[in-house]
Amino acid sequence: MKYALLTAFHIAVLLIAPIYVVGVINRVKAYWAGRRGPRLNQSFFDMLRLMKKTPVYSEVTSWIFPVSSTIVLATAVTASLITPIVPGFAPFGFPGDFVAFAYILGLGKLFMMLGALDTGSPFEGMGASREATYSALAEPVLLLGLGTLAWASGATSFQDLVIPDVSLGMNIGLRIGIALALYVVLLIEAARIPADDPTTHLELTMVHEVMILDHSGPELGIVQQASALKMTVLMGVIAAVLNPFSVSASVVGACLAAAASIILIGLLAASVGLVESLIARFRFQALPLLTLAGFVVVMFVLIIFNVGQGHIQ
Amino acid sequence: MDLLLFGTLTLIAGMALCFVLPGNRLRIAANLVSQVIGGWCILSKAIPVLFGAPSVNGVMHWSYPVNQIDLQLNSIGAFFLCFSIPMTFLGSIYAVGYLSKDIDSERHVGTHFALLSLVQLSYVIIYTVQNAFAFLVGWEFAALGAWLLVIWQHRDQKIRFAGFNYLVSTHVGLFFLVAAIVVMHGATASFQFDDYERFLKQPSVARNIAFVLLMTSFGLKSAFFPFHTWLPRAHSAAPAHVSALMSGVIHKAGLFGMIKFILMVGHPEAWMGWYLIVVSGASAFMGVLYTITQRDIKRLLGYSSTENVGLVGIGFGLGCLGLSYDSPTLVALGFGGGLLHVLNHALFKCLLFYGAGSVYKFTHTIDLERLGGMHRLMRWTAPLFLLGAIASASLPPLNGFVGEFLFYTGLLQSPPALGSGRVGLLLVVALLALVGGLSLLSTVRLYGMIFLGTTRNPHSIHEDSRENAWMIIPMVLHLCGIVAIGMVPILGIRLIEAPTSMMLAVSSAPTESVTAFMPIALLNSLAMFSALFVGVLLFLLAFRFWFLPRCNRTHVTWGCGYTAPNPRMQYTGASFSGPMVGVFKDMLKFVSQEDLPEGVFPADGKYKTHCIDSVEHKIFEILDDGEKGATNIMDRLPESSGFSFAMGLIGLLLLVSLIALN
Repeated sequence: MKYALLTAFHIAVLLIAPIYVVGVINRVKAYWAGRRGPRLNQSFFDMLRLMKKTPVYSEVTSWIFPVSSTIVLATAVTASLITPIVPGFAPFGFPGDFVAFAYILGLGKLFMMLGALDTGSPFEGMGASREATYSALAEPVLLLGLGTLAWASGATSFQDLVIPDVSLGMNIGLRIGIALALYVVLLIEAARIPADDPTTHLELTMVHEVMILDHSGPELGIVQQASALKMTVLMGVIAAVLNPFSVSASVVGACLAAAASIILIGLLAASVGLVESLIARFRFQALPLLTLAGFVVVMFVLIIFNVGQGHIQ
Repeated sequence: MDLLLFGTLTLIAGMALCFVLPGNRLRIAANLVSQVIGGWCILSKAIPVLFGAPSVNGVMHWSYPVNQIDLQLNSIGAFFLCFSIPMTFLGSIYAVGYLSKDIDSERHVGTHFALLSLVQLSYVIIYTVQNAFAFLVGWEFAALGAWLLVIWQHRDQKIRFAGFNYLVSTHVGLFFLVAAIVVMHGATASFQFDDYERFLKQPSVARNIAFVLLMTSFGLKSAFFPFHTWLPRAHSAAPAHVSALMSGVIHKAGLFGMIKFILMVGHPEAWMGWYLIVVSGASAFMGVLYTITQRDIKRLLGYSSTENVGLVGIGFGLGCLGLSYDSPTLVALGFGGGLLHVLNHALFKCLLFYGAGSVYKFTHTIDLERLGGMHRLMRWTAPLFLLGAIASASLPPLNGFVGEFLFYTGLLQSPPALGSGRVGLLLVVALLALVGGLSLLSTVRLYGMIFLGTTRNPHSIHEDSRENAWMIIPMVLHLCGIVAIGMVPILGIRLIEAPTSMMLAVSSAPTESVTAFMPIALLNSLAMFSALFVGVLLFLLAFRFWFLPRCNRTHVTWGCGYTAPNPRMQYTGASFSGPMVGVFKDMLKFVSQEDLPEGVFPADGKYKTHCIDSVEHKIFEILDDGEKGATNIMDRLPESSGFSFAMGLIGLLLLVSLIALN
C-alpha cells in the first residue's frame, strides 16, 4: 500500500514536474528581464502542438534518426524510475543502481548524438562533439559524488544512499558539498547556462539545441520532453540529497519529505533561472574548469569526511 | 585426457591437410572440418570442467631438458579455452568470406588456415601445461602464428614493418617471461609450476622480482600501457579476422597468465594489488584517450583493446586486494568481473573488427575521414556494428555494462581494513567514470563517421565486394552472446563461477560459492533493469509510430539557410574529438604538416594533422639518442692502435677475473 502510494506520487511528480520546472525557469528569467513571461504550463501545450504535427526529416537520415529520439526518452524514463525524489524511496532499486543510472543516461546521450550525426550537418556534429566532451568530464563528478554518499551512508542503493549515516555537522557539510557538485552536473547535463545557453539564436554557440536543429514535430517534442524529464530527475536527486526528512519515518514524516522535495525542486528550478539571468555562458574552454571545480568540491568533502571518520590520521 | 590428445592431433592433421590437398577450397574445407572435430573433442573435456567438474590431470613423458610435462586443465584454463576455440573457429569462417578474392586466385590460402589451426593448438598448450618449458613453447607458437598471420599481405612494406615491430615487441615480452622463469628456476631448480607455486607462496625479495617480471611480460602480451606500442600497428596491418582474434582472443593469454600466477601467489601483498590497479588504470585511461584521436578504424579498435585490458586489470588488482585484505566479496567481484570482462571484450571486439573488415572490403579504406553514410549501403554490418559499439562503450543493456557494473560494485564495497586506501578506490571509480565518458565520445565518433551522414568518398565503393554470409554469420553469433550476457547477466556469471571459486578457495572465504558474494538477486535486478528499459523502449516506439504522425516529407539538412550542402562539409572525426583533445593536449602528441594558402590569389593549401603514439615516439627518440651517443663516444676515441690494444687487454682482464671469481 505504502509502496503503491509512493510510486503513484513518484510517477505523478515525473509527469507533472517537468512541465513546471521548465515553466518556473522561464518565468524567473522573464521576471528578471522585466517581462511577464509565458504561462507556467506553457511547455505542455507546446508539446501537444508538436505531437500533432507531421515531421519533416532530412534527406540524409537513416532509421537511426527517428528511433534515436524515442530511445533518448526511454532512457530518461528508465533512469527516472530508479532515482529517488523523496529520500528513501524509488519505484525500482537495487544495489549499485546509481551506476546503472549514470550509464543508462549515457545510452541516451549516445543516441542523441547519433541522431545528430545522422543528418550529416556540420552544426549538429559540432553540437554532438561538445556534448560528448562536457558530459564525459561531468561523469566523474557525478559518480564520485554518489560514491562518496554511498560510502557515508553505508548503503548501496540510490534510494538509501541519499541519507548519510554520520554526525549532524558532518551530515550537513556532506549534503551541501555533494549537492553543490551535483548542481554543476545538473547545469552541464541539462544544458543550462553557464554550460550552454538554451535560448541562443546562433548555431555556432549552441550545444544541446544545435543537435536538434533537424528535429521537428513529434521527434522534437519527444526530445524536449526527454531533456525536461532528465533535468527534473537530476533536480530530484539534489532535492533528495538536501531533504532533511526521509520516507522511512511515519506517515507524517513521509508527507513532510514529499512536500520538502517538491519545494526543493521548485527552488532548484528557480535557482537555475536565477543563474541564467545573472551570469553569461562560459567560454567553451572554461567549461572543463567548471567540472574540475565540482570534482574538487567532492574531493574536499571526501577528505574531510575521511579525517572526521578517523580513516586518515 | 585422451580426447584432449585426440583433439590436438586432429588440429595438427588439419594443418597438414592444408598443405597436402590440392585447391584452396578443398584445403579450407578440410581445415574447417578438422577445427570442428578437434575443437569439439577439446571442448567436450573443457566444458564440464568449466561448470564445476574436477580438473583433468595428465602427465606427458618427454626427453631432455624436461623429463615430464604435467598437464592440468582446471576451470580457469577451461574458461579461456571455452571461448578461445569457438571464437577462433568463427574467425576462420569469417576468413573464408574476407579472403574470397585470394581464395579464387592462385595464392595458397591453405597456409593461412594452417596458421589459424596453429593458434588453436597454442591455446591448448598455454591453457593446460603445468611446465614452464612447455608454457614457453606454447607462448612462442602463439607469437609466431600471430606474426605470420599479421603479414598475410606481406608485399606491402608497411605491413612487414608492423609485423616485425610486433615480433620484436612480443619477444621483448618473452625476455621478461624467461627472466621470471630464470628467477623461479633459480630458487626451485625445477620447471614444474607446482614447485613455483610453493616458491611464490613464501614472501621473499625473489618472489617480488618474479611477480613484477611476470606482470610486465603478461602486460606486454596483452598490450597494457606503456607496452602497447606494437598493438595499433599490428592491428591496422593484419587482415580483419586476424586483428579480431589477436585483440579478442590470442592476447587474452596475457590475462590468463596474470590470473594463473596470482592464483599461485595465493596471498599477494597489498602493493601487488595496487601495482596492478595503477598500471591498469593508466592503461584504461591512455587507451581510451588514444581512441579519440585515431583516424584509422583498426588502430582505434587496437587502442580500445588497451583500454579494455586495463579494465580487466583493475578487476584483477581489486581481486588481489581482496586476497591480501581477506575480503571474499572483493575477490569474487574483482576476479569475477575481470574474467567476465575478458569474455565480453572478446565478444564485442571481434564483432567490431569483423565489421571494420567488411567496411574495408566494401570501400577499400579504413580511414574514418573518408567514410560516412555506410548505414544505408551496408544493411547487415551497420546495425551489428552499432550494437557492438554500444557494448564496447559499456552501456546497458548489453554485455559490456555487466562487467563494468561488477567493477563498480567491488570498488564501492571496499573493506574498512583498507583504511585510506578506500579513497584510492573511490578515485578509481572516478577514473572509470571518465573512461566511460571518453569511450562514449569515441564510440559516437567511430560509428557516426563510418556509418552516418553521407559518403565522403563515393568513388571508393566496390559493389562487387559486399558483405557476404560467411562474414555476417560470425558477427550475428557474436551479437547473440553480447545480447544474452547483457540481458541475462546470470548466464555470464555461470560461466565465470567455477574459475572465480578457484580464487575464492585460496582466500579465507567460508564458502567457495561465488553467488554468496555476488548475490543472484543483484544479477536478477540487473536483468530486470535491462528488461525495464527494453519494455519502456518498445512501448514508446509503438506509441510513437502508431499514434503520432509519421514523416511523409524530406528536405535537405538545415545548414543555416545554405541549401546546397555537400559531403565534405560534414563534421570530421578530427573536429569531433577536437574539444576533448584540447582538454588533454598535454598528454597527446600531434604532428602537423601545413601549407596554408597565402597572398591575394592563393594556390590550393593543405593541412595535415596526425596523432602519434607518444610512447612509441619516445622509444624511437631514446634509440636515436643512444645511437648518437655511441657514435659520439666512438668519435672521441683516438684512432691509434696502441689505444685499441690497451682497451682489448682491459676487456680480457675483466673477463678472466669474472671467470676466476666464479
